[in-house]
Amino acid sequence: MIATVWRVAGVGFSLLILLFAALLHGATPDQYAFLNSQVGDLTIGFAVRNDDLTVLLLVVVGVIATCVQVYSLGYLHQRAASYHALVTLFTAAMVTVVISDSLFFLLIGWEVMGACSYLLIGHYWERRDARSGAVKAFLMTRFADVGFLFGIFVLGLGAHTFRISELDPARISPGVLTTGTLLLLVGVVGKSAQVPLQTWLPDAMPGPSPVSALIHAATMVAAGVFLIARMYNVFSAAETTLTVLAIIACVTMLFAALCASAAVEVKRVLAWSTVSQLAIMFSALSLGTADGRHAALFHLVTHAAFKGLLFLCAGVLLHQVGSAALVVLRRYTRRGKLRKALQVTFLTMTVGLAALAGVPGFAGFFSKDTVIEAAWEKAHDGSGVGWVVLVSVCLTAALTAFYCLRLWLWTFFRTPALAGGIGAFEDGDAAADLDDPDSSKLRDAPWVMLAPLVLLAVAAIALGYADGVHLNWAIGLISTALVLLGALPAYSLWRRGADPRPILLEREFGVDPAYHGLVVVPVKWLAKLTVAGDRDVIGAYVRAVGRTGMLASQGLRRLQTGNVQTYLTAAVIGVVALAVLAGVIGS
Amino acid sequence: MPLVLPLLLAVVLFCIGVYGVLARRNVITMLMSFELMLNAVNLNLVAFDAWRVDEATGQTLAIFVITLAAAEIGLGLAIVLLLFRGHGHVDADAARDLLEHEEAS
Amino acid sequence: MTTALFSVAGAVAVVAAVVVVVSRRIVHAALWLVLALGAVAGCFGALHAEFVALVQILVYVGAIVVLVLFALMLTKAPTNPLPEITSGRAPFAAAVAAVLALILGAGVVLAFGNEKIKPVTDGSATAVGTQVFKNWVLPFEVLSVLLLAALIGAIALSQRTESAQRKKED
Repeated sequence: MIATVWRVAGVGFSLLILLFAALLHGATPDQYAFLNSQVGDLTIGFAVRNDDLTVLLLVVVGVIATCVQVYSLGYLHQRAASYHALVTLFTAAMVTVVISDSLFFLLIGWEVMGACSYLLIGHYWERRDARSGAVKAFLMTRFADVGFLFGIFVLGLGAHTFRISELDPARISPGVLTTGTLLLLVGVVGKSAQVPLQTWLPDAMPGPSPVSALIHAATMVAAGVFLIARMYNVFSAAETTLTVLAIIACVTMLFAALCASAAVEVKRVLAWSTVSQLAIMFSALSLGTADGRHAALFHLVTHAAFKGLLFLCAGVLLHQVGSAALVVLRRYTRRGKLRKALQVTFLTMTVGLAALAGVPGFAGFFSKDTVIEAAWEKAHDGSGVGWVVLVSVCLTAALTAFYCLRLWLWTFFRTPALAGGIGAFEDGDAAADLDDPDSSKLRDAPWVMLAPLVLLAVAAIALGYADGVHLNWAIGLISTALVLLGALPAYSLWRRGADPRPILLEREFGVDPAYHGLVVVPVKWLAKLTVAGDRDVIGAYVRAVGRTGMLASQGLRRLQTGNVQTYLTAAVIGVVALAVLAGVIGS
Repeated sequence: MPLVLPLLLAVVLFCIGVYGVLARRNVITMLMSFELMLNAVNLNLVAFDAWRVDEATGQTLAIFVITLAAAEIGLGLAIVLLLFRGHGHVDADAARDLLEHEEAS
Repeated sequence: MTTALFSVAGAVAVVAAVVVVVSRRIVHAALWLVLALGAVAGCFGALHAEFVALVQILVYVGAIVVLVLFALMLTKAPTNPLPEITSGRAPFAAAVAAVLALILGAGVVLAFGNEKIKPVTDGSATAVGTQVFKNWVLPFEVLSVLLLAALIGAIALSQRTESAQRKKED
């Protein structure tokens, strides 16, 4: 009963967001502040605003949230009802971030999102990896949020206002501006899983797939991009911050794309690709031009569509096959069983991967080209950042095509190579590939799960044309060539039944072990030290107090003889003593 | 007559009563000692009354105390009887129902 | 004359009181208590508080000691000398009493060492009666209620309850 209420409430809330966005569409930009309180000469309070960016993000959040909520009806119908409530809260938090005009109001939504992501990633609390992934996500984003909070303080105090719309970079001193935006950037990097705080996002994959879709497409990680777009006038005034952002973005997009090329689990590939795609958005933002911002937001919207779609497809694979690991999925590829059994999923996932890879005609192609175009224009003006971004995005485009095709082929098609490419993914048991699993019960998912897929697949194609087609043919040709450049090696490797994964990439450049050694181990030592100190130093005092009490009570118990006369004697002695005392004091 | 004479007599009687209350084992003897103490107090009241020569207030209070003593001894002896019925003796030393027993810890 | 009378009565009272608290025979102690209380009554008389002295004899000697004797009888007190009349802390109790006596005596001597009681005419019951019914009426009435309460309490305490009786039979 309660579960039903929450499900209805969740779907209803998502639809409400869409309705809200439709009502706000076309309205004049406006702000409204409420619950203000005066602290010294500062005004701290809540404020909401409405402009094009708000409406755009509301639509994205609404559509993705609706798809996820509907999809979850089929995907998680046997799990606890708190799931839907949390997803609703998560969505509401993102809406808060989107509509807020006060930095503190934004922070509230930002933090609630962090808490919800922790709870949702750890939804399968009985699984160890889900729990540790949730804790990791929580700790890393929380660490970054410290920077975010201090960024708010620095910027707000420097500008004497906490209203985003009143932040005027011209009235903030350059030092404060750079410090504040760099601190905000720390929070953004943590939330959007950029280098060096990228490791939590792939480890968040044990969470339910719809939650991954929500996190990756519309809410959590998109919040970082949104924040920079929202405060773009402030960020674009801080040259240093933009340069740092460009470096981070370029490193991240290549790093994540390389990691994605070596991952052997569908969701992990998608997670790394999200990191990479977000970095592309950040690189566009780091150009500091209006075109860059436009390109980033365009890419954000298309990415929301096709990444949400891909995660929901991965969810179908998990739901129907039971695993999304390539090694398991490959057993079902004989005679195209997986392809035929999960026809809708296959088709929509093909669309999603094509959009992600940037195949001409799909949404990703157009949005990526916009980014490249913006970078080209910036580079043309003689900007070093522009060149770096341009080269990185082009390289990433090729890599993206590589890992998309690799994923698509290895998931749905049997390699023509001898014995189906034994040993390409199995480490020890080479013959495991040969046994044919029972696939007679393999069915496509129920329609509540497929409907969002179809809707998002349509969006993944149509959104490319939503902005009006203004294609720069040269750039289009170059990016098509890059896609082919990335796709060909993937195809040829698959033909030969080989999947070479350099050890460095498979270990994701050893960042996790390094963090483990640098942070986790010292913290554990500190924790042990604290425990020892608590037990042996502070606890000793506590125990000593207890023992003293016990000993004293054992001594005092002797006085409790039960003999009335003893008590009387003591009383008389006391009276005498008091009398003597009174006499002494009186004299 | 010096005032200290009755006062010292009262002190001596009172302390004898204290000794009796604290030392004697028999509860009835304890009650008798209580009477001695009360008498010492009465002696004080009467002596000060005679010294101050006022309107016999001390004597009145002494009478009150005597009445109270009568009430006290009545109740006290009833309790002693109860003790005797319960324990079969009137030994204050042996009546240790209020004793804190050693716990097995 | 009164001083001499008082001294004699006081000496008798002290001696009798000492015997009361050290006597090995409890019944004897009760009888010595009669003497001690009577001597105190004599002291009252020497202080010209004849009414109090009479009440003392009437209530204490006549009623309380009789009550005590009854209690001794009811508790089957032995008439022969008891081997252990005092507990082990008797010396300690004696010390406490001695210290108390020392302190009180010193205090009394220091405070009233030079005061004299002027010879007074005969005391009269009139003064006491006037006081009781003029200034002390309310305490007097309260006292009567207290006596009633003590009476009822004594009866309630000494009554054998049925459950106690049943316990005895078991």
